Amino acid sequence: MDAYELTIADAAAMIRAKELSPVELTESVLSRIDAVEGKITAFATVTADVARAAAAAAEAEIAAGAYRGPLHGIPVGIKDLYETAGIPTTSSSAVRADYVPEQDCAVVEKLTAAGTVMVGKTHTHEFAFGAVTPTTRNPWDLEKIPGGSSGGSGAAVAAGECMVGMGSDTGGSIRIPASVCGTVGLKPTYGRVSRRGVASLSWSLDHVGPLTRTVRDTALVMNAIAGYDRSDPACVDVPVPDFAAGLLAGVAGLTIGVPTNFFTERVDPEVAAAVAAAVGVLVGLGAEVREVAIPLPEYILPTEWGLMLPEASAYHQEMLREKGDLYTADVRLFLEVGEFVLATDYIKALRARTLLQHAWRELFEGIDVLVAPTLAAPAVSADDLTLHWPDGTTEAATDAYVRFSAPANVTGLPSLSVPCGFTEGGLPIGMQIVGKPFAETTLLAVGQVYESATTWLDRRPAL
Amino acid sequence: MTALQETRLQEASVLAAGLPTVTEAIEAIGAGALSPVELTEHVLARIERLDPLLDSYVDVFTESALAKARSVQDAIARGESLGPLQGIPVGLKDLYDVAGTPTLAGSAVRAGHVADTDSTVTRKLRAAGAVITGKTVTHEFAYGVVSAPARNPWDRETIPGGSSGGSASAVAAQLCLAAMGSDTGGSIRIPAGLCGLVGLKPTFGRVSKRGVAELSWSLDHAGPITRTVADAAVLLQAIAGHDPGDRCSIDEPVPDYLTGLGAGIEGLRVGVPTNFFFDAVDPEVADAVHAALAVLVEAGAVLVDVTVPHVELTADLVSTIVGVEAAAIHQEHIRTVPEAYTADTRMRLLAGELISGTSYVNAQRARRLVVDGFRSVLSGLSGVDVIATPTLPVTAPAFGAKTAQLGGADVPVMAALNPLTAPANAAGLPALAVPCGFSAAGLPLSLQLMGRPFDEATLLVAGHAYQRRTDWHTRRPPLGEN
Amino acid sequence: MGDLVARSFPPLDVAALTARLEIPEDRAEVVLGSLTSAYEVIDVLDSLPLGETPPATAFDARWE
Repeated sequence: MDAYELTIADAAAMIRAKELSPVELTESVLSRIDAVEGKITAFATVTADVARAAAAAAEAEIAAGAYRGPLHGIPVGIKDLYETAGIPTTSSSAVRADYVPEQDCAVVEKLTAAGTVMVGKTHTHEFAFGAVTPTTRNPWDLEKIPGGSSGGSGAAVAAGECMVGMGSDTGGSIRIPASVCGTVGLKPTYGRVSRRGVASLSWSLDHVGPLTRTVRDTALVMNAIAGYDRSDPACVDVPVPDFAAGLLAGVAGLTIGVPTNFFTERVDPEVAAAVAAAVGVLVGLGAEVREVAIPLPEYILPTEWGLMLPEASAYHQEMLREKGDLYTADVRLFLEVGEFVLATDYIKALRARTLLQHAWRELFEGIDVLVAPTLAAPAVSADDLTLHWPDGTTEAATDAYVRFSAPANVTGLPSLSVPCGFTEGGLPIGMQIVGKPFAETTLLAVGQVYESATTWLDRRPAL
Repeated sequence: MTALQETRLQEASVLAAGLPTVTEAIEAIGAGALSPVELTEHVLARIERLDPLLDSYVDVFTESALAKARSVQDAIARGESLGPLQGIPVGLKDLYDVAGTPTLAGSAVRAGHVADTDSTVTRKLRAAGAVITGKTVTHEFAYGVVSAPARNPWDRETIPGGSSGGSASAVAAQLCLAAMGSDTGGSIRIPAGLCGLVGLKPTFGRVSKRGVAELSWSLDHAGPITRTVADAAVLLQAIAGHDPGDRCSIDEPVPDYLTGLGAGIEGLRVGVPTNFFFDAVDPEVADAVHAALAVLVEAGAVLVDVTVPHVELTADLVSTIVGVEAAAIHQEHIRTVPEAYTADTRMRLLAGELISGTSYVNAQRARRLVVDGFRSVLSGLSGVDVIATPTLPVTAPAFGAKTAQLGGADVPVMAALNPLTAPANAAGLPALAVPCGFSAAGLPLSLQLMGRPFDEATLLVAGHAYQRRTDWHTRRPPLGEN
Repeated sequence: MGDLVARSFPPLDVAALTARLEIPEDRAEVVLGSLTSAYEVIDVLDSLPLGETPPATAFDARWE
């Protein structure tokens, strides 16, 4: 096994035991990038020199006995919406082609403090506006999309081009690429991780979080990045647990809610079957199942869009007027439309959000977690971004993907996507585990026990 | 002399000196020197005699007020107490629900409305033993600063300000001992300032707004109007606290505002803005505020020049947020009964409907900058404890005037009255208006103190220290009574 | 909000007064089409009985 194939947890154990040097690990990852990046294009910028310097520094520190913890010397990819001092941060847009920030964003500051090695900036759908990431391909099938908007991070982690890819999630943009690329992806609770210095799509819906190969790796990254930051007005000052401590808690005694509506409508049969089988695995491990109805289902997407349209257009207001022709056509159109949404419509969505939050609180009164497909369908072809449903209807891929992931954005609830199988065509399928506010540790325990009981992780993209 | 006759004589002397303050009345009632029934009867008689001149009340609760006063008196006779405000006559702005009575909010749209339950503040006042005298005039849905038809007791040709104009007019004329107001851009402090009273807008989330008709939920605050700072402290003590029924309410412990009220202000750091707050202010106002600062220095305060970043954004962001939130609240009624609104309000609500979502979002972003601007002045090692400014740039405008003179220009009355109060709404900070003199024309002038979130106590201590050295708050308006 | 009638859009130049954004004539049709679709989605909220529900302004995901 090459070093780049290791999990963070395994690599960390070897680094700590001085069986693996951060320099070797980084070189292994950089070689892997050299080998596969031409097919995938996961990165907007590869920062090989920065990575080599950081790896050398980590190696020296560790040799001197100053081991910082499980992320010390671990190669990471950072979504190109995250500001990185001295390194271009383009948001995969011509509008920001020349933008080089002076400061790191909060998450990069924390990852740097934890000793990580940044190997590059990963592609996003332009300004995080879609679930396709047209620059990038899916390592499992190069004809397919990697999902988005954190498509570069999903593809890079799946292909072994980094051990964690940071993402952001406004309508599913961490979980969508995680699901279609066969990685783990966590959208934490709204307010858990600081968004300072990450380009906004929609302030009231944006979340940042990691994509990794395993559940434990996600827990290790959360330990480094979670916590209150006054400079992000959404951040909530609540105690931060040790996300790795409860990983082996299991599911015995937990009640899993299984939806009887919303997540059962217009869903690919292979996806539905895989998630049902996964629920069966959890039951076998001691979980109880309870069928639940998703409340107010028809209002989830109107609320998501009613919030996102005007917030996004407010963020882009000046850039649209100054550089409108530099946006891609779909993003420009989206921004123009958002300009015409009235404030009273936005308020209506804010009020609807309150009702939805109350309704989901009631939904969780009888369950500990909700388990549902992360996405209605696996990765679509990059040449045809449309889903064709059995009833003859079609749906744009982004719309279909956002449909199942938006509830956790509107409610702010944490949601973990874990791989739960493959289609006959060999494309990954994900299930999402949604939990109560700030109950990430419960989600990680459920994900961990499932991951340990199954072998999906053993599969790797052929490339 | 019988005991009854003795009490009557004492009451006569308490009331002959003018209506007592809340603090004085609590003491006199507690000492048995003042009968709650006599006090309420006296207040009701004043309302009957003087309110026709002032139009400060929309509804007077004669029967229920007397009944409550009697129950307080009976309780005292049994050796019991009905609470810290027992027997104190308090008026409520007609936005506060009182079970079984209409909350008209100054609007024909509300005709026929009857509240099912008390607002939280109403309930807390009653539970503290207060006698609710009635409902006071407000600008329609609190969306303005005029409060017609109420008049200013200091000069009935001028407005009392608004939107809590009826409350201020009534307290100034001693038609109640204290009154509740609400404040979205200054609507407690503006009328308090124009009527020579103390007005306290507490921190956003400190006092429940459940059962108080909304104008703009993210800027609305509920608070008291009184004659003295000590009275404001007593009222705040009774009404502050977390209310799960109000989503804006914040679960923050309520300190004791009364015990340390006389602590003094030795070493208090008072920030005096060098930007914005004194830029366009009548010289009479500026002089009075500077004289008030000198009094604070005599009392031991230290003045510090400060700059409040971004505060100049306030007017735009507040008018956008109020416009949008008011339009959202009235979206249904403006379609079903448009003719029931006054022309001004209808025009404002329709204008609010045309504001784009991006403008509202950007107003909330600007608000963040104003919050951070105040934080930079009020926190950290070099931070000040309070910020002192004029409450208003001008004195009371003429009744019926659409514009007022400000910095040599004619501006709409709203723009003349709220520029210095609205920043504390945008930032959610506590702010206290304290009388600090009179203009040559005999109209009241006012000092505003703003503080850190949930630090009403420091404002009250500072305002109280000022009032112990000055007597502006003891002057009475000329109502031809003597 | 059941009393709200369906939207019929005035020419974009009227809406542009509010947004202060000029839409070139050659883009008007596509923008108008998208705007109509967007409003079809969000106007579903008209049927939600909001009552006295306050908005989640400073959104806090906690339930307490």
